[in-house]
Amino acid sequence: MKRNAMVILTLILALSTLLAACGSKKNNDTSSPSASTSPSASASASAPASEPASPSKEVEPFTVSLRHIQIGEPQKFRKAILDEVVKKTEAEVPGLKFELDGVEDAVNRFTKLPAEMAAGNQPKIFDLFGGNADALKYAKAGRLLDLTPILDELQLKDKFLNVFGQFTLDGKIYGLPIGGNMEGVFYNTEIFQQNGLNPPTTWDDLIKAADTLKGKGITPFAQASQAGWVPNMLVDTLLGRHVAAGFPNGLTDGTLKWNSPEIVAAYTLYQDFVKKGYFTKGELGKTYDDMLNEFGAGKAAMMFDGSWRSSAFKADGVAKAINGKVAFIALPAIPNAAGEQTSINANYGNGYGFSSDLNENELAAVKAFIKNLYNDEMQLRGLTEDGVLPSMKLSDEAMGKVTDPLVKQVLDTMKAAGSSFVHFDSVVQKAVNAETENQLQKLIANKATPQEVGDAIQKVQDTENAKK
Amino acid sequence: MKNTLKNPAVYLMFIIPTITLYGLFFLYPMFSSVFYAFTNWNGLDETRFIGLDNFTTAFGDESFRSAIFNNMYFIVFSVGLQVPIIIILALLISNVKKLKGFYKTTVFMPSILSTSVIGILWGFIYDPDIGPISAFLGFFGLDPIYWLAEPKWAMIAILLTNAWQWVGFYIVLILAAILAIPKEIDEAAEIDGANATQRAWYLTVPLIKPIISVVVMLSIAGAMRVVDIVLVMTNGGPAGSTEVMASYMVNKAIKFGDYGYGTALAIIIFAFALVFTAIYQLTFGKTERIEY
Repeated sequence: MKRNAMVILTLILALSTLLAACGSKKNNDTSSPSASTSPSASASASAPASEPASPSKEVEPFTVSLRHIQIGEPQKFRKAILDEVVKKTEAEVPGLKFELDGVEDAVNRFTKLPAEMAAGNQPKIFDLFGGNADALKYAKAGRLLDLTPILDELQLKDKFLNVFGQFTLDGKIYGLPIGGNMEGVFYNTEIFQQNGLNPPTTWDDLIKAADTLKGKGITPFAQASQAGWVPNMLVDTLLGRHVAAGFPNGLTDGTLKWNSPEIVAAYTLYQDFVKKGYFTKGELGKTYDDMLNEFGAGKAAMMFDGSWRSSAFKADGVAKAINGKVAFIALPAIPNAAGEQTSINANYGNGYGFSSDLNENELAAVKAFIKNLYNDEMQLRGLTEDGVLPSMKLSDEAMGKVTDPLVKQVLDTMKAAGSSFVHFDSVVQKAVNAETENQLQKLIANKATPQEVGDAIQKVQDTENAKK
Repeated sequence: MKNTLKNPAVYLMFIIPTITLYGLFFLYPMFSSVFYAFTNWNGLDETRFIGLDNFTTAFGDESFRSAIFNNMYFIVFSVGLQVPIIIILALLISNVKKLKGFYKTTVFMPSILSTSVIGILWGFIYDPDIGPISAFLGFFGLDPIYWLAEPKWAMIAILLTNAWQWVGFYIVLILAAILAIPKEIDEAAEIDGANATQRAWYLTVPLIKPIISVVVMLSIAGAMRVVDIVLVMTNGGPAGSTEVMASYMVNKAIKFGDYGYGTALAIIIFAFALVFTAIYQLTFGKTERIEY
């Protein structure tokens, strides 16, 4: 009898261990929706969860996960802004503690967040990109919080510029762009002066400068193509300037083909640059940071990059060695290209999204976070400290506070642009974007011709378009 | 105690928890992944059964076919070049009189380092601007080689790094087998007039054949599932020239949330590894038990 009891007891123990291991994460937030504490400490241990709690000023602490991409030295200005918003929000919402989780941009966008979205365990607040491949895909699957009522409640909607295009599905807004950027040419004014070159504001001057510098052993364009998205920035602008109409939206509705003569012409121009040795030697082995290092060390005269890079050239930035010697312009007009030659690539594609799976407390935290991050003060700080163009309307007075000459140049360049187009990576499907990166690397390695590149991408585009 | 062992409940008590865990964390994921390989599962949209589409897509993709060839390079390199070098080095080390422990430790060292560390270390060695290889070539007035940036060099660079990492581990395996051979056999051959090379080739190598066979099999299996060193050093680039099957799976399927396709690729890799090791085991790998 005693033995049987022993056996049963051991079995119970083993099974309970197993069941405990299978417990769900919901355990953690059973008490949070009402944010209540039980009347007394002794009662709290035995009080069933369903029992209505009496109002109390004591608040149950709770955490909200926050995924950001502000890691590493180049992102330090943006991280400082985020830290302040976090601190302020924690002070405002009783019991709130943010759990910050910093992940590298591409890892978050292409690996971690998609996996979490698939499993449904995404963080409560997270860095999010707009477009079909990111925000809209997750919104369709019901993973993102509809922000329209919150924007109405906080009276924020009218304060934003027209920036929700890549975050809107069926009239509902699912993400808030933190700012905007344009892609253009950074050039080292000192190198240009020393070599008696005109600023690369016209195509002839740009080509002349590239040829001269190449001859003198200075890399004309710093380039880093280990990750395909980096050279794709220049390709995107070349495409926008070569295609007369329908770029990039025509790619997904079938009215524009990757193997059309205009797009092949753009790829041919890119390959021409490669063949002439305008880019960093061994670019296929270089990372995005290598590109900034090369330009920052004065080894390269130009760099095609996003306006967000401007903060690196500040007096306390990572490329401070060339502080005051950098200028920014749009890519000059390309002769004989069919598109609008004053157009630029401009995006409001990156910002924050929020999980649809929130309890009352978390929702309050999200609202306070939005209120503290999306306001004139933080937008202006983003612009002046980090060179990120505002996604909200700022007064002329506020804009007048911009003193950084490089940021001013970015703003002027944007103002002077005749029109703008978004990056194709926020429009085309993920598989297509991956193929553009793959094919571009083949083009650089001279393993494919521009026509083959266009044909290969179009093949994937056709498959993806047919999936709908 | 006697009665306890006659009670079937006791046996059940011991096996049920383990079987449950085994089923939960091994059998269930394995069989469900076979199922998902035939679907378009991406975790977000509705999952549909699509038959063999994932498999035809994989074999229809030129990048995947070249990844298969790159895995073959790994096999050829590790079996054709690495194994003979391993045997020669093991024979040499077994014959040194002094500092044998030092040599053993030195060659074994790389295999205890993390692959990420090795990848970064060799990334520096291969660096065209500041790496020691470029400096060495520069000494003779030669241009630096862009090891990891040029398609024709990248694969060789990775194969060398991978070899550096694993050679020591296999040397220690073979060395153990050599040192286990009774000394008398070697001495008898020496008295009969066999020189060192003859003794190594006609005596030692045949006697350690079973362990060589194991090393070859481990090399084949290792070459089929290689991925970490590729992801750290080139991420499959430049232009797909170092893409292996597993890195293709990570880059093309898992990264883009195409989990159905990803599991199909995993099954293809599994099938390839199974077939290759089976072929080897049934042909060259057949060894007889050696009694001294």
